[in-house]
Amino acid sequence: MKAKDHPYAAMKRLLLASMILLPVIPFISALWIGHYYFTLSLENSTIASITRIVEDHRHMIDSFLEERRNDLEFVLNTHTLESLGQAETLKRTLALLQQSSGAFVDLGVLDESGMHVAYQGPYELKWKSYRDEPWFKAVMEKGVYISDVFLGYRQVPHFVIALANQEGPSKWVIRATIDTQMFNEMAGRVRIGKTGEAFLLSADGTFQTERRSGGSLMQTDPDFSWYPVEDQGVKIFIETGSGGDQYLYATTRLTNKNWLLVVRQEKADAFKALSTAANMIILISLLGGAIIVGVAFYLTDRIVARIQQTDREKNQLNEQLIRAHRLSELGEMAAGFAHEINNPLQVMKSEQALIETIMADLKASGQLQESEDLKDVEDSIRQISLQIDRCSKITHAILRFGRKSEDAVQDFDIQKFIPEIIEMVAKKASVEGIAIHQYIQNGPLYIHGDPSQLQQVLLNLFNNAMDAIIQRHGTIGGELTVISETGDNGRVRLLVKDNGCGISADNLDKVFSPFFTTKPVGKGTGLGLSVCYGIVQNLGGTMTVESKPGEGTTFLIELPAIPA
Amino acid sequence: MEKPKILLVDDEERFLTTTQKVLHKKGYEVLTATSGAAALKALGEKSVDVAILDVKMPGMDGIATLKEIKRYHPLVEVIMLTGHGTFESAVEGLKSGATDYLTKPSDIAELLDKVAEAYEKRQRLEEKIRIIQSRQSEREEDTP
Repeated sequence: MKAKDHPYAAMKRLLLASMILLPVIPFISALWIGHYYFTLSLENSTIASITRIVEDHRHMIDSFLEERRNDLEFVLNTHTLESLGQAETLKRTLALLQQSSGAFVDLGVLDESGMHVAYQGPYELKWKSYRDEPWFKAVMEKGVYISDVFLGYRQVPHFVIALANQEGPSKWVIRATIDTQMFNEMAGRVRIGKTGEAFLLSADGTFQTERRSGGSLMQTDPDFSWYPVEDQGVKIFIETGSGGDQYLYATTRLTNKNWLLVVRQEKADAFKALSTAANMIILISLLGGAIIVGVAFYLTDRIVARIQQTDREKNQLNEQLIRAHRLSELGEMAAGFAHEINNPLQVMKSEQALIETIMADLKASGQLQESEDLKDVEDSIRQISLQIDRCSKITHAILRFGRKSEDAVQDFDIQKFIPEIIEMVAKKASVEGIAIHQYIQNGPLYIHGDPSQLQQVLLNLFNNAMDAIIQRHGTIGGELTVISETGDNGRVRLLVKDNGCGISADNLDKVFSPFFTTKPVGKGTGLGLSVCYGIVQNLGGTMTVESKPGEGTTFLIELPAIPA
Repeated sequence: MEKPKILLVDDEERFLTTTQKVLHKKGYEVLTATSGAAALKALGEKSVDVAILDVKMPGMDGIATLKEIKRYHPLVEVIMLTGHGTFESAVEGLKSGATDYLTKPSDIAELLDKVAEAYEKRQRLEEKIRIIQSRQSEREEDTP
């Protein structure tokens, strides 16, 4: 059994492997390729978008600083130290500047020595000396200076734009404070996703604007150490920020001031679509994989089961064919044998008749006296006659097996016919305490054949069944079931079922063979079932048997029905 | 009643001799032949009422012999003797003009019953022929 199962197990493994691998390979490939190109395209577009944002933003801040410087330059060029030193003029000028941009907080005029000679604004800064302040030194040297954010005298973070007039007899300087609040808002005004932010860092890494995710003015950005320090161009990179989150960074330097513009967004936020897609892909892979594996298992089971069944049916068919062939060979052999036996039997019969005639003559003529011996001889002769008859019955039974009988062939309704046959054995059955159940399908079922032959078959089966029942149950609990119904392919199905002693597996193969019997010598010829088999075959039908020892036996006869 | 003259044809010689003896004892005149050819020869030489013909014989078989007998001796009644396996040929025999058939092994009594029936038939036939012939001769006598 194990050796027989083995090829199926191997077949199953092969089928399963190919049914899983074949769809999984393109499936996974498609997902992977899709993921790869989607990632690539999304990364490209995200980077392009952040690059554009950082460039636009730099341009805006640069323009702002440029414009403020130009404002001051205009003031510088249109005034002298004296004219602007007058409080009235300065006040007007600041008002004009504030019309141009609300970012101007105050305006001051300084002379060569760094003395605040005139001031217009919310603080009391007049006459303060800025001579030692670094921005004053820088502006005296370069003419233009934009400071980093610093606290100054006011102890308030701010930055200044200062311009020096290089022409004329004496140098003078105007300086304006830029509203850090406003600048902060403008420079930080960037909206990308949920976590996108922009901020400015000075050359030494202190915040020039507030950072929304934490980082106050003038604090040092802890991440500054690894920011790239290139002068021009946009730099894109992904790094882990000090908070532990990964960020997508875009940095660039301003043109008008040595400040670094940083735009950053949490990586998870920037590539949110990517992680959503990745999750979807994982989900689809798992679901798809599960479905493929499930379907593969299901189909493989179905296919292998179907193949197994087909093989089983093929084997059964082969066995049936072999059995039928063997039986027909046996039948032919038996028929030839029986025919040859009939000739010597005929001679023996003639001899016996001659002896009887002579004995009668001898007795009549008085040559034979009545005696015990003579009686024995006569008895012996009678016995010979009986045994010849017995032989003759056997040979006739054999000859019926496999012989086509042309007489009495007709179309008849088997549904009417069967109850008549059952009636014949009903008496015997009731005596033996056997219940007979009939399930005869309604309506006529016609078959073509010799009714007497079918009667012989059924009586044979009924008698066998009853013998088996009596052997197992005695006279209590016996059941004989007869079913007659329409079967497959326009055939009549006839079932004769008993709950008798059953037939052992060894004997089951031989029940249709001529001369096979389990009955004691002289009780059965072993021809009954083989004759039945031959008859059913001649009717164009098939006859099979199923049996379990100790449970019962079922004979199934299928006969071609005549279409109604 | 007059007993019929019987011709037994079978290739089994012992069957022929024994049956001949039994029938002799019962007062029948019995001829035997071991083949179809011998049977036809015997019929040519002696008058026979009923022939019992085995279907299965070497050489000319029962059916062929039957056809020859019916051709040359149409008034001889023929009973076919058949093994069961040659049942179909018994039917063919009946169609070819045999009166009846017997299956082997058959009783002498059964055999004699069938012979008697066949003989009756033959006698009825002869009777009819005689009547027709006598009418014919009467008519001939009437014409001067």
